[in-house]
Amino acid sequence: MVGELTWPRRLLGLWVPLAALFVFALFPFAWMAATSLKANAELYDPAANPMWIRHPSLVHYIDLFKETNFVVWIGNTMLVALVSTLISLLLGVMLAYPLARMRFPAAGLLAISVAVAYLVPQTLLFVPMADLINRMKLGDSLSAVMLTYPTLLVPFCAWLLIGYFKTVPRELEEAALIDGASRWRAMTRVILPLCTPGFLSAGIFAFTLAQNEFLYALLFLNTSTIRTVPVGVTGELIRGDAFYWGQLMAAALLGSLPVVLIYSFFVKYYVAGLTAGSVKG
Amino acid sequence: MARSDCFRGSTSRRDFLKLSVAGAAGATVGADWRLRKASAKPAQITFLRESSYVKEFDDYFKNVLIPRYQQDTGIKLVYEIVAAGGSAVPRLVSIVESKAPVDAGWVQQEWLYREALLDVSDIAEEVGKQQGGWYPEIKSLSVWGGKWKSVPFGNIGQTMVYRRDWFDAAGIHTFPDTWEEFLEAGTKLKKAGHPYGMSMGHGFADNNSWLLPLLWGFGGQVVAKDGKTITLDSAETARAVDYVRKLYKDACIDDCVGWLDPANNKAFLTSQISCTNNAMSILISAKRDLPDMGKVIDHALNPKGPKGRFHSLVPVTHGIFNHTPDPEAAKHFLRWLMDPKQVAAWYRSAFMYHAPFLHAYDRDPEWDKEPRFKPDQRVLETGKLVSWPAPADRKAGEVVNKWIVIDMFAKACTGVPTKAAIADAATGLKQIYG
Amino acid sequence: MSTNPVLEAARPAARAVPVRRAFQLREWLEREAVFSWLMLTPPLLFLLAFLGYPFCYGVYLSFVRRPVAQPATFVGLGNFVNLWSDSIFWQAVWNTFRFTGAATVLKLVGGLGMALVMHQNFRMKGVTRALLLLPFIVPTVLSTVAWQWILDPGMGMFNRILMYVGLVTQGPSWLGNPTLALVSVILVNTWRGLPFFGITILAGLQTIPTELMETATIDGAGSWQRFRYVTLPLLMPVIFIVTTFSIIFTFFDFQLVYVLTGGGPANATHLMATYAYSISMGGGQMGLGSAAALAMVPMLGLVLVAMSSYVRKA
Repeated sequence: MVGELTWPRRLLGLWVPLAALFVFALFPFAWMAATSLKANAELYDPAANPMWIRHPSLVHYIDLFKETNFVVWIGNTMLVALVSTLISLLLGVMLAYPLARMRFPAAGLLAISVAVAYLVPQTLLFVPMADLINRMKLGDSLSAVMLTYPTLLVPFCAWLLIGYFKTVPRELEEAALIDGASRWRAMTRVILPLCTPGFLSAGIFAFTLAQNEFLYALLFLNTSTIRTVPVGVTGELIRGDAFYWGQLMAAALLGSLPVVLIYSFFVKYYVAGLTAGSVKG
Repeated sequence: MARSDCFRGSTSRRDFLKLSVAGAAGATVGADWRLRKASAKPAQITFLRESSYVKEFDDYFKNVLIPRYQQDTGIKLVYEIVAAGGSAVPRLVSIVESKAPVDAGWVQQEWLYREALLDVSDIAEEVGKQQGGWYPEIKSLSVWGGKWKSVPFGNIGQTMVYRRDWFDAAGIHTFPDTWEEFLEAGTKLKKAGHPYGMSMGHGFADNNSWLLPLLWGFGGQVVAKDGKTITLDSAETARAVDYVRKLYKDACIDDCVGWLDPANNKAFLTSQISCTNNAMSILISAKRDLPDMGKVIDHALNPKGPKGRFHSLVPVTHGIFNHTPDPEAAKHFLRWLMDPKQVAAWYRSAFMYHAPFLHAYDRDPEWDKEPRFKPDQRVLETGKLVSWPAPADRKAGEVVNKWIVIDMFAKACTGVPTKAAIADAATGLKQIYG
Repeated sequence: MSTNPVLEAARPAARAVPVRRAFQLREWLEREAVFSWLMLTPPLLFLLAFLGYPFCYGVYLSFVRRPVAQPATFVGLGNFVNLWSDSIFWQAVWNTFRFTGAATVLKLVGGLGMALVMHQNFRMKGVTRALLLLPFIVPTVLSTVAWQWILDPGMGMFNRILMYVGLVTQGPSWLGNPTLALVSVILVNTWRGLPFFGITILAGLQTIPTELMETATIDGAGSWQRFRYVTLPLLMPVIFIVTTFSIIFTFFDFQLVYVLTGGGPANATHLMATYAYSISMGGGQMGLGSAAALAMVPMLGLVLVAMSSYVRKA
C-alpha cells in the first residue's frame, strides 16, 4: 500500500468498514452459534434476546453426535470432496493445458464448448444422470457422487486453469524444448510447478462446491451411513414441519469448521491463484 | 353422526378380536415365507419413506420392525429416509425413471407415476377386510383403473391448532364453529395482540389444509367431478376470496401470506400467533420443549361454511415399484408390515400420528391417551383429497404443485382485486386442463 | 532465462533421451496437435459420457411430451409454445433477471469495497480473510434455515433492531410482502456470494504493481483518480471473470429460494430454476420442465455475450 495513513484516516478507511463487513458477513453465524448453544425453550421465548444465551447448554451438540451419524457424514463429505476435487483437477489440467498453450485445429471450438458446459443447469441433468448412475450399478455408493461432481467441477477448474497457464511466459517452455526436453517433461517439470497456486485455488474452490452440493447427493446417496453432511442433516433433522433448530445449527457450524481451517491455511495461495492469471494474461 | 359413530364403535370392537386372531396368523406367515423362497431369497428389501414428523415413529421401525423382519424371514430390511417437504418427490421420480434399486415406499404424489406401481389389490383388499374396512375417500387415491396401486397407511391430520388461554381471555370459550365466527374471533384476538397465522405460501400442506376446505365450505370447486370441466370461476369462489382477504387483513399476522410449512410452527411456538392450521407437530414440540404452552394448546376441526364442514387429507400410502426384482418378496413385505401384529404397534408408537384409514382403529385406546389429538382422527370423516371432487390424477397434482389455488388467495391478500385473482387462476387451470 | 532453477533442473534429464529408435514416435508425440489431442481425449470422453449424454437427453426431452413413467410423444416446439403463453413463466423470467441483476451489482460493489478494505495492512489478515469467507462455505440449505429466523417478523434480528431503535413499532414482513420477499432473497444471495467477490478482487489488487501507484501519486493523482484511472482498468479482467462466474451461479440459484420462500408469496420470488423444478417434479411434466430449464441457457448466453462485448469495448 502507498505510504502510511494517519490514524483518523485509517479508522475511516480500514477499521470502520472492516467492522461493518464483519457484522454483515458474520452476524448470522453469531445467531447460529447462540442457537446451537441454548435449549429450545429459550430459543422459543419471545422475551429472550436472540443473540444472547441465558442458560448455555451443549445438549444439541451431544444429541447431534449421539443420535445421528454426524461424524460419518463429515468423513464422507471430506472424502467425496477430496476425491472429486482431485479428479476434477487432473481432468481440468488435461483440458486446460492444450487449450491455453498449444496451437492446433479446433482449439477455439473446444474452448467454447467447455464454456457452454458451464451453462447447463443441473435441473436439466439430474434425471438422465440418475439413469446413468443406475446403469453403471453405482447407486447408493460414494463413487456415484465422486464421478458426478466432476461434471460440475471440471469445466470450472479448466476455465480457471486456462487463465493461469496463460500467465506463464511462452519462452520458458520454448527454452525447455530447445534444450531437448519433451513436451511432457516441459509441462510437468517447468510449467505445472510454476502454477501450484493456481491448483490450490481451483482445488479449494472445487472442494467447497463439492462439499456443498445437494441434489446429486440426495439422489445418489441413500443409506444414512453413506450420506454427506447437507443430505444427512436435512434428512434426519428436518422432520416434516418440525425442525431440530439447535442441532441443525450445530451441524452447520461443525460442518464448516474443517473447511475454514483449510481456508485459513491456504488463503494466501487461494488469493494469488484465483485471478493472477486473468490480470497478467 | 352419533349413530354412525356408535355403529363404527361396535364394528371396531369386533375387529379387535379379529386383530388378535390375525396376529397369531401373522406368526405363521414367516414360516410360510421360508418354505416358499428357500432357493431364491432376495438379499434385501429397501423401503423408502419421508422422515417422519415424529421421530419415535422412525425409531420404532428401525429398532423393532427391522430386526423382527430379519428374524421372521431372514431378509435384510433397509429403511431409507429422506427429508420431508421437497426431497422425497425428486427421489421418487428418479427411482421410477431410472429403476433404482428400491422396492417399496411411501409413494408420495403417486398420481405422477401410477404406471410404475405394482397392482397391490390383493393386499389392500385383504387388509381392509381384516381391519374394519377402508375409509372410502382414500380409494379415490389408491385405486386407479379398478386396481389398488398402493396400500393406504394413514392420514396426517391437519386441524386448527389454537391457544385456549388467549381464546378464553378474549371471551371465546368454544372454538368457532363457522368461518364467520372464526373471523369474528380472530378480529378480537388480533386487537388483543394475538393474531392468527394462516399459511398461504408455497408450502406443501398447511396452506391447502385450510384454504381448500374453506373454498369447498363456501361452495366453490376447482374442477368438476369429471376431471375436465373447470368450475373455479363462480360466485361462491368470489365469496371465499373476499372472505380470506378480510380474514387476512383483520385477523392474521402479515407474514403468513408467504409462509412455508415450518413457519407457522415457529410463529406459534414463539407466541406470535394464537391459531393456525397444522398437524400434530406443534403440540408435540410444545409438550416437549415448552410444557406451560403445551397445557394451553388445543386442536379443533375446521369451521364449517354454508355448504358444510371439510378437511383436506394428507394421505400416506405405501406402494411397490414394478421394477422390483422380486415382486413376490416385496408384496410379502408389505403384507407383513400391514399385519396388525406389526402395523398396530407402529401406529401407536407415535401418538397415532398417522390416523389409519382403517375403521378398526377409530376407537383405538391410544386416542384416549391424548384426547386433544382426537380431532386429527375425526378429520377422516369429512376429509377429501386435494383434488376433490375431481379424480386425483396428474393434472390435479399439477394444480396443487403450481399453487394455482393458493396463489389466487395470496394475490387477493396482497392487493389484487377478487375478479383478477380468480381470472389468473382460471388461466392457469386452462393451461393444465387444456 | 537460463538461470531459471526450474529449467536447470529439467536440463540434464532432457539431454539423456537421445535414443534413436524411439525418436520417430517421440517426434510424432511432440507435434502440438498430437500432444494436445492425447491430453484432451480423456477429459473430453469423461465430459461426453457424463455431461454430453444427460445434456442431449435433456434437449431431447424438451421437444417431447413426456410425463413421468410414461412414453414420450414428439411435440416439436410445443413445450416452448406452451411456456411462451404461460404468465407464471414470464414472471419467473422477469424475477430471475431482477434477482440476478440486483444481486450481482450488490456483490460487485460490496466485493470491491471488501477487497479495498482487506488490501490494507493490518494484523491477523489471514484469519480475517478466512472468517469473512464463512458465508460462502456453509452449506446453503443450512444457512438459509438460519435466515428463516433472522427474517422472522417478531423474533428476527432485523425487526428486533428496527424496533429497538424505535424506527417502527411493528417490523415489516420480510417474506410476506411480495416486494420485500424478493429483496430478502437478493439480500441472502448477496450475503452468501459477497466473500467470493471480495477475495477474488483482492487477489487482483495484489497483482497491481506498486510502482504504478507511486508514479500516479507523483504525477499528482488523488486517491479517487488513482482508483478510477489506474486500479479499476487493471482490475477489469478480474471483475469480468468473477462477474461471469457469479451470474451463472446466481442465474441457476435454486436452493436458496426453494428453502426460503418456495417461490412465493404468489410467485413473487419464483425463479426460472424453481419453476422448471416445480413443473417437472410437482407436475411430473419432464418435457415441459426440461424446456423451461433449457430456456435458461440461451438467455444466460445472451447476457454473457452482451457483457463480454461491453467489456471489450471498454
